[in-house]
Amino acid sequence: MIRPSWGATEGLCVRIGGVNRLWLALTSAIFLLLLAISPWAVAMRAFGGKGVLITIWGTLDLYGRAKAMPDVSWLGYFTVFWVVLALVAAALAFVPDAKSRARYYYVLGLVGLAVFALEAFLFYHAVWAANNAALAAGARRPPLKRYSLSLGAYASLLYSLLLLMIGRLQLPGGRALLVRWRGVVVPVVSMLLAMVAGAVVVWILRDVKLPEHASLLNYYTAKLDLVTYTFQLLFGPLLTASGWFQSLLIATPLIFTGLAVAFGFQAGLFNIGAPGQLTIGAIMAMLVGVHLASAHWFAGLPYGVARAIFLPLSILAAAAGGAFWGAIPGWLKARYGAHEVINTIMMNYIAASVFLFMIASNEYTFFGKWTLHMPFKFPGYEGRSYEVAESARIPLMVNLFGFHQDASGAWTGSLSWALPLALVALVVAYVLLKRLEMGKRLLLALGASVVGYFIGGFLPGIPMHLSSRLASVRLNGAFIIAAFAVAFYNYYMWRTRDGYELRAVGLAPKAAEYGGISIAKKTILAMAISGALAGLAATHYVLGGGIDEYRLKQSLPTNVGFDGIAVALLGQNTPIGVFLSALLFGVLSTGGLQLDLQLGISRELVMMLQALIVLFIAAGGFLPRYFTDPILAAQAEEGVQGVL
Amino acid sequence: MSLATLFTAAFLVPLFQTTLRSTTILLLTALGGMFSERSGVVNIALEGMIIFGALTAAVSAQLLEAPYVAKHPGIHIWWIPWVAVLLAMIVGGFIGWIHAVVSIKYKADQIISGTAINLLAAGLPSLVLVYFYDNATNSAEVTNRLPEWFGFSPLVYLAFALVPITWYVMFKTPWGLRLRSVGEHPEAADTMGINVFRTRYTAVIISGMLAGLAGAYLSIGLLNQFVRNMSAGQGFIALAALIFGKWHPLGVLGSTLLFGFAKALAIQLGGSDIMPPTIIEAFPFVITMLVLAGFVGTSRPPKAIGKPYEK
Repeated sequence: MIRPSWGATEGLCVRIGGVNRLWLALTSAIFLLLLAISPWAVAMRAFGGKGVLITIWGTLDLYGRAKAMPDVSWLGYFTVFWVVLALVAAALAFVPDAKSRARYYYVLGLVGLAVFALEAFLFYHAVWAANNAALAAGARRPPLKRYSLSLGAYASLLYSLLLLMIGRLQLPGGRALLVRWRGVVVPVVSMLLAMVAGAVVVWILRDVKLPEHASLLNYYTAKLDLVTYTFQLLFGPLLTASGWFQSLLIATPLIFTGLAVAFGFQAGLFNIGAPGQLTIGAIMAMLVGVHLASAHWFAGLPYGVARAIFLPLSILAAAAGGAFWGAIPGWLKARYGAHEVINTIMMNYIAASVFLFMIASNEYTFFGKWTLHMPFKFPGYEGRSYEVAESARIPLMVNLFGFHQDASGAWTGSLSWALPLALVALVVAYVLLKRLEMGKRLLLALGASVVGYFIGGFLPGIPMHLSSRLASVRLNGAFIIAAFAVAFYNYYMWRTRDGYELRAVGLAPKAAEYGGISIAKKTILAMAISGALAGLAATHYVLGGGIDEYRLKQSLPTNVGFDGIAVALLGQNTPIGVFLSALLFGVLSTGGLQLDLQLGISRELVMMLQALIVLFIAAGGFLPRYFTDPILAAQAEEGVQGVL
Repeated sequence: MSLATLFTAAFLVPLFQTTLRSTTILLLTALGGMFSERSGVVNIALEGMIIFGALTAAVSAQLLEAPYVAKHPGIHIWWIPWVAVLLAMIVGGFIGWIHAVVSIKYKADQIISGTAINLLAAGLPSLVLVYFYDNATNSAEVTNRLPEWFGFSPLVYLAFALVPITWYVMFKTPWGLRLRSVGEHPEAADTMGINVFRTRYTAVIISGMLAGLAGAYLSIGLLNQFVRNMSAGQGFIALAALIFGKWHPLGVLGSTLLFGFAKALAIQLGGSDIMPPTIIEAFPFVITMLVLAGFVGTSRPPKAIGKPYEK
């Protein structure tokens, strides 16, 4: 919530060793204010978000029918502690010696963390005690459900962490360290700012219902609870297995499109055409997976052989379709100097037209005379293709883990060792074969993982019950392809000569050209690979049944191509960053469903958050120039005088 | 339907009218975009600005008329649509200001900043609609739409009148000269005492206001409500028309007429057996790509376009 920033108010007050007293006073004041007016914890919450709030002033019961309450009489003592802590922290800014100041702040921060942990323990203990007492008194089920800490407690945690960071900043090179971590600092600050903006929107959009005779303070407390609950719901999927599965499901296409955009960025190209590349990839996957795989001259093939041919072939077709659609604007830029942004946008619309042309109807008449017949649309009102042949389908993740659905629809089977062993073999081989050169190392590691997969497949599995909730999530093997795409991106960009040259073109095109690199070739290549990555997202939707059916459907959500821009920017174009930010957006989208259900806030809030994150990252998180300007940042890291 | 029916008045008159109407949106937006791009700021956010303008116009008109309509259903009050248009322009200008702050003051990549605004326009309207109407896809219907003069909304006439006006402002006034110099060579302009930042801010805000106007025409001129994603890429087509029109008012008039005609043709031929409308709809995009590649004439952008100015 609180953004430490230095340098913005230069001249207004004296700086001591990098910490600006004004900012420290401000953050301390905001912390105390939050502690005073926000709910500290929620004892229970009913469906629809009405909660029984615990504040430092007492209980605020918005639900009205609470049957039990945890005993939190100790909260007052801790409040006094936090007030004292904040005052001491503010006073410490006047200690003249930087080293002792740093030490004091470290101590304060650590004490704060310990006290926070103690508070959390006491709270949960009190809730369990209240529940047990009610159960012992004959209640059928525990009266306190969906209890949690709330904004007041979170604020004290954040404040303790802030004190630790301030301590580090007192020491020499503190701010240079922050600048070195700008790849994390800028996205995190942008995300926090976007969350604050989202909180304001929620505050405005949703009204709260208060009990009678409520004071203005109660109104603010209830509003802050609403805001906190919104974000608790958004991040809620992280707490359940099915939430993780659903988040990964949404993240899978985002990983592909995020990588596609990031790949372009590395080569200095802005590929805004991922939606179109995805569409063409989906069409190609459909052509191979539906029409080639079930063509009558392949009907005699045994299932295993057909699978070995058509599954890889249709995946490659998706990549090839995307690559083709990406290479065109690349070629136009290389050959004619036409800017790729406009061209990729145009090609999005052309792809959408092609898609609609193929999937919306099977018969077109031209000039009232000639009729064109096409075999692609499945009969019926809805625009969708025929089903993908069995041999070209990507299995569901639960299938890969060894579970199967029988005729009655129930899930049986046991957790197979195949996938875990394959992963372990891959990692072990990769780590052990450090001495080999990269290509051989990768090849052998992949071989080891295949061996691990088969060995694991023959081992008896762990009998396990699969919850129907988990089984209903259609997370499929496309996620594994996505994981490989992340690894490929990492390998190609930072471990091969081609990748090095691409990045050189992106960073300094003129220098790269003097170095003997053909910019034209690199542009086409980069756009083609970028397009291929976007096209692979189609494997999730068409071959993996990501939208409920193994078909190409008119409801293909091509917008994930645009979301890829947000993913790439938030992930700062690094492989791990792209993966994590795709996961984050997957979590937020999954939580957005709950948001709609519980609070009636449209899930478009998540889209708004994404947009704001992009906007704020574009503005460098509104941080000082030495964070955002590469040259200034490098000077700051090197400790050049006068930069910080 | 035979080919001969294409040359009857029953087909041609509505085709002409639809062409003018769909051109209006593109023309207003593209002329606005011209100010921004001539001053050196890429404005890919036109699409989002149209959407925000359309949303503001429909929602504000509906809210303003609500107390009157509740008393006398179907009442027509002349000033309501005009206030709504004004508000749409203000909001469009505000969005332009955001784009300007991020890309001029914070020196962001202008394309990324614009993309962020477009993403915002895809999400925020739903939240507003749910707040006012408990409906995520469209607003309530507006009774007090823009009037029609001789069959067309006043904004249609305004759009075409703006072509000579922009031409005059851009090429015959000192301010226009300054604007163009800022887009071509900001360092030189700065040396001559022109305030590069202020000129760019003004240009981007004007661009946002005109796109907001186009949005207002879309929601309370053509239709009588806001529908989610109602601009359907017309901001991007306007951008393409701007490039095709070589950043010149007359060129823009020609290209928007062509694209508007293609759109009108696709609408008029919908359901007929002459040509699948999807093919006609794709036509402007193919043309734009051919133009960009230099197959159909060449198009030279302002020299300093897309580059943040460092003082």
